[in-house]
Amino acid sequence: METTFIKEELLFRQLETAFENVVLEIARKEAVLVYAPKELVAPILLYAKEKLGYKSFSHLSCVDWIENDEFELVYILWSPETKINLFVKTRIERENPIMENTDTIWRQINTYQREIREMFGVEFPGFIGEKEFILEDWEEIPPMRRDFDTLDYVSETFDERPGREDKQDVRERIANRSGEEIPDFAKKYSRE
Amino acid sequence: MYNDNNAQTIVEYIKNFTRKNSLFMLAYGTGCGAIELPATLTSRYDAERLGVRGAATPRQADLLLITGYLSTKTLKRVIRVYEQMQDPKYVIGFGSCTINGGMYWDSYNTIKMLDKYIPVDVYINGCMPRPESVIAGFKELQRLISEGKADGATKYKENLDWYRENQKKVLKNWPLVEYNW
Ligand code: SF4
Repeated sequence: METTFIKEELLFRQLETAFENVVLEIARKEAVLVYAPKELVAPILLYAKEKLGYKSFSHLSCVDWIENDEFELVYILWSPETKINLFVKTRIERENPIMENTDTIWRQINTYQREIREMFGVEFPGFIGEKEFILEDWEEIPPMRRDFDTLDYVSETFDERPGREDKQDVRERIANRSGEEIPDFAKKYSRE
Repeated sequence: MYNDNNAQTIVEYIKNFTRKNSLFMLAYGTGCGAIELPATLTSRYDAERLGVRGAATPRQADLLLITGYLSTKTLKRVIRVYEQMQDPKYVIGFGSCTINGGMYWDSYNTIKMLDKYIPVDVYINGCMPRPESVIAGFKELQRLISEGKADGATKYKENLDWYRENQKKVLKNWPLVEYNW
């Protein structure tokens, strides 16, 4: 049976007529994507909330596209009536990233913005939230950025207990010791 | 007639015997391992038959259980908690994360060796340890106590400088209390 996207099409048309300059896509059943420039994000969120019945804000996340020198912010909304997830995506530049503060539309965005400010260093001018969220006295570059080298930082800051540098595959040894057979399907995951 | 040495031994023996059979435990549920504790403490595995039970506050507890990975943010609180506990006090490190970082070995925000920051008497390995191994860990601790070998608190007092140095290495800009024991 062919899937039909009737309610998704409807949402598509509504957004298409309301906004120019946005790229729309029906990703799959009950998921509609909006690629918008960053000035249009707040209007789209407001429009979705006031006109399209998007009562609930699910998530705001950030993706580091280091190859394109951009951050992508993804706002995920959820409508309990139509049961369609609306993804609003926008790209901002990676150097000096600034995004409009939208926590006046949904208050819970505040928490996500705090997290993203800490983990990616994206600034949201004018929004009120404690500077520190999860990390305390963090002095490096924001840790979720892809150019932050976790391993380097770890080997500088913490000491490793000796004995796991070689990262041996000890399954065989353990199996031999207790006289077990390693099943065939498990052998293909062997590191050797 | 009166042998002072023997009397001392007997007193020590009684002290250790009573200590080992009433361990009040403060389970500091830092990581995922904490989920095994309800099972350990309730009717199926019933740790209370070994005299292990929960304590409400650090000051009433003898045993601190660090159940899993410890972020540097939590480490600050754990150090406070440990220092608030009264002597005699014991620490059990629970799960591979406390031993060598476990699967968080390359995480920027969790410590890798718990015994560099507070003295650990017993480690229980496993990710996560089953209630059986937790109980084995309790038994091991009881053995150490009855032999008088669980002396983490003394170690901490004697080597406070070393512990402080390690703690300060990861806890920058955080006031750690100075003691004059
Ligand atoms: S040892 Fe395993 S179960 Fe325990 S805290 Fe670490 S990852 Fe979680």
